[in-house]
Amino acid sequence: MTNKIIEKIQTAFPESITHYTEFRGEMTVEVNPTHWHDVALLLRDDEELEFNLLVDVYGTDRLKLPQSPRFAVNYELYSIPKNQFLRVIVATPDPAPSNSNTPLPEIQTVTDIWPTANWLERETYDLMGLNFSGHPYLHRIMMPDNWVGHPLRKDYPLGGEPVNFEHDRDHPRFAHLGKPVMVGPSFLTDLPPEMDTEKHMVVNFGPHHPATHGVLRLAVELDGEKIVRVSPETGYLHSGFEKTGENKRYEKFIPYCDRLDYLSPMNNNLAYVLTVEKLLEVDIPEHVQMVRVILAELQRIASHLAWLGTHVMDVSGMIHTLVMYTFQMRERILDLFEMVCGARMTTSYFSVGGLRWPLPGAFQDGVKSFLAELAGQLKDYHDMLTRNPVWLSRTQGIGYLPADTAIALGITGPMLRGAGVPLDLRKVRPYCGYDQFYFDVPTSTTADCYGRYLVRMEEMRQSMSIVEQAIAKLKPGPYRTADRKVALPPRPEISTSMESLIHHFKLVTEGYRPPVGQVYQVSENPKGWLGFGLISDGTAIPHRLRVRGPSFVNLQATDPMSRGGFIADLITNIGSIDIVLGEVDR
Amino acid sequence: MQILTIVLQIAILLAIVLLHVAYATYFERKIIGHMQVRLGPMMVGYHGLLQPIADGIKSFFKEDIVPEQADRPLFLFAPVICLVTMLTSLAVIPFAKGWVLADINIGLLFIFAMSSLASYGVILAGWASNSKYTFLGGLRSMAQVISYELPLGLSLVGVMMLSGSLNLTTIVDSQGSSFSSMYLFPQLIGFFVFFVAMLAETNRVPFDLPEAETELVSGYITEYSGMRYALFFMAEYIGMMVMSSIGTICFLGGWNGPFEVPFFPPFWFILKVYGFLFLFIWIRATLPRYRYDQLMALGWKLLLPLALLNIFLTGLFKILVH
Repeated sequence: MTNKIIEKIQTAFPESITHYTEFRGEMTVEVNPTHWHDVALLLRDDEELEFNLLVDVYGTDRLKLPQSPRFAVNYELYSIPKNQFLRVIVATPDPAPSNSNTPLPEIQTVTDIWPTANWLERETYDLMGLNFSGHPYLHRIMMPDNWVGHPLRKDYPLGGEPVNFEHDRDHPRFAHLGKPVMVGPSFLTDLPPEMDTEKHMVVNFGPHHPATHGVLRLAVELDGEKIVRVSPETGYLHSGFEKTGENKRYEKFIPYCDRLDYLSPMNNNLAYVLTVEKLLEVDIPEHVQMVRVILAELQRIASHLAWLGTHVMDVSGMIHTLVMYTFQMRERILDLFEMVCGARMTTSYFSVGGLRWPLPGAFQDGVKSFLAELAGQLKDYHDMLTRNPVWLSRTQGIGYLPADTAIALGITGPMLRGAGVPLDLRKVRPYCGYDQFYFDVPTSTTADCYGRYLVRMEEMRQSMSIVEQAIAKLKPGPYRTADRKVALPPRPEISTSMESLIHHFKLVTEGYRPPVGQVYQVSENPKGWLGFGLISDGTAIPHRLRVRGPSFVNLQATDPMSRGGFIADLITNIGSIDIVLGEVDR
Repeated sequence: MQILTIVLQIAILLAIVLLHVAYATYFERKIIGHMQVRLGPMMVGYHGLLQPIADGIKSFFKEDIVPEQADRPLFLFAPVICLVTMLTSLAVIPFAKGWVLADINIGLLFIFAMSSLASYGVILAGWASNSKYTFLGGLRSMAQVISYELPLGLSLVGVMMLSGSLNLTTIVDSQGSSFSSMYLFPQLIGFFVFFVAMLAETNRVPFDLPEAETELVSGYITEYSGMRYALFFMAEYIGMMVMSSIGTICFLGGWNGPFEVPFFPPFWFILKVYGFLFLFIWIRATLPRYRYDQLMALGWKLLLPLALLNIFLTGLFKILVH
């Protein structure tokens, strides 16, 4: 497979590949920037390659690495038909410094090939300062428009800089405040240019709106009640997870993962821990894998329950009863987590090489009794909604997102399965021992909100089945890897073994040093593919840490799903995408 | 002297109804709480019994914020329109035999007129706030009232034909006091149309589109605060009570019951009204909200033909019997 890809590219565009490496089973191809756009087309359209899913785009600043030019863009590709990952690195030539200011390095956009690149490239532009020529709307997406500098660059100061948040009544940016609705424009000046504010009404949904699940702002162009265009605006909750991760030891980033998608911290922990373990090549004991699967699937159920409750609430109104029912069941799961690690939402239970603490004895019985209760509750939820005519009329045919559009937009998770693509990483590329379980990948061909609702409801049942199987398979065993270079030795051993004491001291004071290399690990989160990219320069601190939030990528579907619908459908669609703003803004 | 008596009667009625409104919110919160495995208000007084009073005091002393760009007189006046029209329609409702302030011959029409007027308050509130959300809420309310006034009125035509009167007391009397003679049974279609249209008329779930908190933040009341906000709520609850009263009078036999309660003739009437209120609340806790266009389709394509069919069947029945 590897050679075939290289061959294909080489025959089509000789001299386009400058370098090729394989590390931890991941292929990395470095492509000449002049050929990149053509190579990208070939990668997508060739019948033997078919890299139809662009998973991620992120820039790297190699200022402190012995590499040149300084900036490079990483493209993580996946081929759904061939089940194949590929990383393409395109180094952007350093621009010639002009007298006054240095222009940004430039690279050609791939938005026309993979539309999902739109936001991902905007983010790279915003945070890394790379110019994507030909991009339809290259604006900042995380930082405010008037921000100076690009935070993810290595020469960006850490702290001490003036913060450019301002609220100045005289500033033209705030000139619209307090203006009447019918007379003057009451929208921000940074709307996409195609929005017609004279002909139609533009309404700001959010950032403080009951249905946007956090601080999401949608500029909605309305023709009466019909939606002409939606422009989501993110970044209100941006807290620089990637920058933080690049200044911490590998292990220290785990608590930050909890705050990404705060409705599924266990899955986030798992995804991150797997990435670091892939980089370190650690063997994980069977017991640990089972426990991880149980907790991750419980978390999936919890996340879906929270989704179901809030989705119904969006469609119905704040007083709908199902919210309380689902949150009550989610509460049971959080109780189980509390039993396991003392925290309910910020669990940080998985550590690199194992679990943070051994599993408490009462856990298995607690899970069993919970599953028995949930089975009855799920039936109630189905009774309340699945054939309810009002629910059907509100979700059937709403938010239509067919498979080809979804793949082009990089949609993953239940959203993609709701469009009829049975893509589940637990099935196609099993990690953490998922290949030992029997479970189905539910899909729906209706590609509307109702289909996605059914998919998520069924996923909860499948997760229950996985948890049941894992509980049956769970055998006592070590809760950490025996690799002393990665995990702390057991406490009693320290007082008897000198070597253990040294390991303990080294781990606590310095942390582990992974080999030089780059890994990217995606895992199936409740909301889609959560990807973590790590570039190690051989020190205890990652040189580059990349987080691909599924909510962020999926949120791009808001506009194509909602066009032509009603305001009420927009709310249904946002609920159906299932976003968590902590992950969107990171 | 007579005027003094009437004023006294009005004052007593107002006090009782407003107290009921306050406790209807408590009723709603408690019922929904228990449906949702919660307790509802528990802190103020025994099982939260003083909660409505605390809420009233709170909203009374809250700052009354008027947006700078709002149309000030209309903005201030809109909640008053809502409340006054709703309170006025209480005048013609007979709570028991002879327990009515104004026993006029066009009682039913009067109530329809008043509830239509109340929608002016909603529309004006939406317009005068000068905000996009309230504007959309006001527009929705206008469309909704126009579409649902028709089936609501037509659904009661059958009752008028059977009783031959628009006077509410006569309507109750003509139903007789036995269970089987309630108009609910001959007018089952009419009752169904009336009930759905009633939900829409009072802006309750699943037809609470003018408010639609998850879409339009709070619809037409987004910009209101303090006591004016509370006035809208009082108007909504009185609206619910008035509509429930009409339902009770026209379909459930008014104050008649299995036996007469000594000293308190409106007992059965109030029980039936609270039955309706319980239904309102139950539906609110259970059903998702309709979409704007679906609401229109339901009103014009289903309820209106059904109401017309009901009139036709009632007429046919009357011709065949006589």
